[in-house]
Amino acid sequence: MSHLTNIIKKEIKELLTPGSVASVLIMVLLFASLGGLIGEEIGKSATLPVIGISNYEDQTVDTKSGEWNAYDALVNIYTASGVPASEIDDFIIKIDRDNIFDDMMEHGVSFTFLLSDTFKSDIESGKKGVLEQVYIYEPSGMVGGTVSTTMAGQLVNYLEQDLSKSIVGSQSEMEHISFLTSPIDGGHTYTYVKGELQEDVTPSEIANKLSGQTMLIPMIIMIIIMMVGSIVISSMGSEKENKTLETLLTLPIKRTTIVTGKILAAAVVGLVFGLAYMLGMSFYLGSLTAPAVSSTDIDLSKLGLALGLTDYLLIMVSMFLSIACALGICMILGAFAKNYKSAQTMTMPLSILAIIPMFIVMFSGWYGSNIVIQVLLFAIPFSHPMMATEALLNGDVTLVLGGIVYMVIFALVSILITVRLYKSDILITGLSQNKYVEMLRGNRKHQKH
Amino acid sequence: MTDALVLKDVRKTYGQREAVHGVSLTVHEGEIFGLIGHNGAGKTTILRMISTILKISSGTIEVYGKDVTKESDEVRKLISYLPEDAGAYKDLTGRRYLSFIANFFCSGEEKERMVQKGVELADLGDKIDYRIDTYSKGMMRRLLIARAIMTSPKLAILDEVTSGLDVINAYEIREVIREIARSGVTVIMSSHNMFEVDMLCDRVGMIDQGNIIDVGSPDELKEKYGKDTLEEVFVAAVKGA
Repeated sequence: MSHLTNIIKKEIKELLTPGSVASVLIMVLLFASLGGLIGEEIGKSATLPVIGISNYEDQTVDTKSGEWNAYDALVNIYTASGVPASEIDDFIIKIDRDNIFDDMMEHGVSFTFLLSDTFKSDIESGKKGVLEQVYIYEPSGMVGGTVSTTMAGQLVNYLEQDLSKSIVGSQSEMEHISFLTSPIDGGHTYTYVKGELQEDVTPSEIANKLSGQTMLIPMIIMIIIMMVGSIVISSMGSEKENKTLETLLTLPIKRTTIVTGKILAAAVVGLVFGLAYMLGMSFYLGSLTAPAVSSTDIDLSKLGLALGLTDYLLIMVSMFLSIACALGICMILGAFAKNYKSAQTMTMPLSILAIIPMFIVMFSGWYGSNIVIQVLLFAIPFSHPMMATEALLNGDVTLVLGGIVYMVIFALVSILITVRLYKSDILITGLSQNKYVEMLRGNRKHQKH
Repeated sequence: MTDALVLKDVRKTYGQREAVHGVSLTVHEGEIFGLIGHNGAGKTTILRMISTILKISSGTIEVYGKDVTKESDEVRKLISYLPEDAGAYKDLTGRRYLSFIANFFCSGEEKERMVQKGVELADLGDKIDYRIDTYSKGMMRRLLIARAIMTSPKLAILDEVTSGLDVINAYEIREVIREIARSGVTVIMSSHNMFEVDMLCDRVGMIDQGNIIDVGSPDELKEKYGKDTLEEVFVAAVKGA
């Protein structure tokens, strides 16, 4: 065996410990599930949405090439995109003009095209016909809000092109060229926010405006979790590597005091670092979003989408508890760290657990996720402060309170497990002396024989 | 004579392997008791069980009448344990480390007196105010001995206390141990150094494969086995030579 091979073999053996392999496996599983989620969301945004159309019946435009009706044009677009004619009624819903909100809610319609009463006469007299877009705003992360708005915009373009083709033959005057190429005025938007109709605003603009709040908290939580996780696990690894743990455990102090002391110290340091990051990040995001905000000057408080003092308090409680949960998990993981190096490897699953909810919350949010993702989000304690802003903006206090109760239970259980570990031999002897590990090894040896 | 430490049929099992097989022994107050045995004989396991950091699988250990399993918090007030390869928090100075430990025992002037006692025991001169990561092995060991002794424990548990030290450092540390024993502190220590055990210990327990094979004063054991040195006694006891 060459010297190089000898060194490589030794290094690989050192690096491929059961702990590092387990961490990588967990990461692969987590990334695979994240990939599935993103794929699902991309698929969702690529499929045609369920839309509504209202006041189209008496607005059939007479052109030289025949009659043009907005509903028929939409049907053509949907059938050309692969929707069977028999299923058209499931995709294009005829909405009662006097009952738009309830009809949209009932059929799960994300937006409705409302033709003006003078649409037909305007077009036939060479004026632009007004096509209003009516949305219902539902919080669904950064993507959810923008998907419906983008789709509506594309459909308006299709309708315009279709109508343009029909009327080109019926108008001869060249001065009407701008009308001929763009016969529809689709710039009028309305959005139902919490049941109230708001003028000149789209869900996309609301999502953009809210992104400052909905992005900042998940990012900060993720950074704090990763930071305190690293601090606590490394602290345990250092205690073992520097051989100070045995002395600490024989001092006249209760195990709960040692555990609580380590947790609180890490929480304080994590919070201080987190606040510093929050400050830096808010400047960073502020500079990124400033031009967008000025172009869509929306007052969120007028839309009923501003957080109150109680909301901020709930978010703070949620943040604190999620840090407590992270510290609980870290203390358990830290108990198994053999030294500083192995401690670093153990922070990896925790980091992934912090990154996953951050992406989901930013991407589709709690309300835009399916039940499987919602269960996953709820189970990961770090998700709750990330979801809290969206939930509170949506008036969903139950979700936030439910998360708080769950995190209290999670933190208590993890601290109890940690105290039990501190009272056991595992801190000193590690897992190698554990009877179950020995039984497994014994079985493996037996199988080899 | 008061019994400082009593072990009754103590067993320790790691997984399916029994490392200590029913050890029973008594250490009297003010005595220096040495545990000798080869690597893996069970010395450190016994000391760790006495120190409350390993659970006893069966049997009982009492320190000044306090049960280490049922009254571990009380036992920790009476003992001071110095593991073989113990370390200290390297980003602290020697004095800050002694102060950190003293905070667990007392406060105010009493704490200051304890720290001063530790500084004198460590005898590191102005190096006591240097960061610990600048210390040599001998300096580190002196600091840790000082840490273990300054709290005036009733029972000092010392594992391979002079292991890896040069002659001068080892000699000075043995002097410290003699001094604390004279002040009434009971000492139980393990060592591979038979010369050290012979010189320091009032009584010795020989341990082999988790069993105490004999107990007595160095002179009694030498006479019993008809040997001149404790080393020869140990070999004779283990190998039957």
